[in-house]
Amino acid sequence: MNDILFIFSLLISSIIAGFIGSLTGLGGATVLVPIYTLFLSIPIEYATGASLISTIATSSGAASAYVKDRITNVRIGMGLEIATTTGAIIGSLIAHYIYEHHLAFILFIIFGIVILTSIYPQLKKASLELPKPIKPDWTTRVFQLYGKYYDIALHQEVEYYGVRWWLGEIIMFFAGMISGLLGIGSGALKVIGMDWAMNLPIKVSTTTSNFMIGVTAATSSSLYWFFGYIQPLMAGITAIGVLIGSFAGSKVLPKIRNVRLRLIFMLILAFLGIEMIIRGAQLWI
Amino acid sequence: MDLNDVIGYALRIGVIISVILIIIGLAFLSGNRDFSELVSPTSRVNTSVINPTKVPISAFSGNGLDLILLGLMVLIATPVIRVLIGIIQFAKERNILYTIITIIVFFNLMLAIFILPLFIH
Repeated sequence: MNDILFIFSLLISSIIAGFIGSLTGLGGATVLVPIYTLFLSIPIEYATGASLISTIATSSGAASAYVKDRITNVRIGMGLEIATTTGAIIGSLIAHYIYEHHLAFILFIIFGIVILTSIYPQLKKASLELPKPIKPDWTTRVFQLYGKYYDIALHQEVEYYGVRWWLGEIIMFFAGMISGLLGIGSGALKVIGMDWAMNLPIKVSTTTSNFMIGVTAATSSSLYWFFGYIQPLMAGITAIGVLIGSFAGSKVLPKIRNVRLRLIFMLILAFLGIEMIIRGAQLWI
Repeated sequence: MDLNDVIGYALRIGVIISVILIIIGLAFLSGNRDFSELVSPTSRVNTSVINPTKVPISAFSGNGLDLILLGLMVLIATPVIRVLIGIIQFAKERNILYTIITIIVFFNLMLAIFILPLFIH
């Protein structure tokens, strides 16, 4: 009976995580790992392993729709993947070192900090649909950082170009490293890399970030697989739960323009972030 | 058909196949002798004790655990296939720079999947 209860709580938690993750735009994993470690007493290795797997599922599921919309810039995404996959490999190796030396408290604290810092851009988001143009630089030309898409909200074809490819690459390397270290997609950091550093429109940044998350997570998951951080039952149920949750979230999202509701989600995230840091500190002492 | 559509379908089919395999695996699992060991939060059954090359054969003979593992493998393979199609796409466009870039990304994936595991432990 306890077995059934555990399976049921895995499924419910992952559906909730997927739902909140898709409404906040942070992805299911950011909410999932704290719920698993804090409330279900799952070791952080297994929690991050399951969350990485779920990240691939949601990213691929959503990307199949975005590819049809032609908003994702595959060139820019693939170019930045060089940095995220390299970062993911290094992040996973560091995670392995940390677990081998029983230093998991470090990951709890980093996780808490990452959650808390990702709340800020969420709160001030959506001010500008399109970025203010910056003069193209040499990377705009060499790395072909341009494209166009049809914006349904603005009812017009948007032509855009990106700048500072090198700065984007540096941020993406850290995004990949965080992803490998914590088993999350680190979509917030990827969006900052494209939106802030490369001056791309927010719609291109978010869809291209989603496309990149799948490839980054596949890189770390194969290493996690080898290290034994993937518990098959947990990972399988989590993938399905997060898929259901984020699908439901994507259906509800267009109907929600309620600022108060977003604020409640941000408070949940703040609570989880602080709890992770406290747990890390407790393990340390 | 446009290659972009091929990519869209490839991603969707990958996710659907893996979800189906995981669900069938879960249904078959109740008969598994390791069942109670598998559902413990601190279970010792994880991917480090599994030989990946044996998974597909044993999955098709109806082993629940291996069906789930095969589903997870398909899921991990989906973005890899997407990168492979990317190489073809850029090569067809005769975009040499991005063909090389995509090949490097593919190499990174192969490094993580096949090469690095040979050198660790």
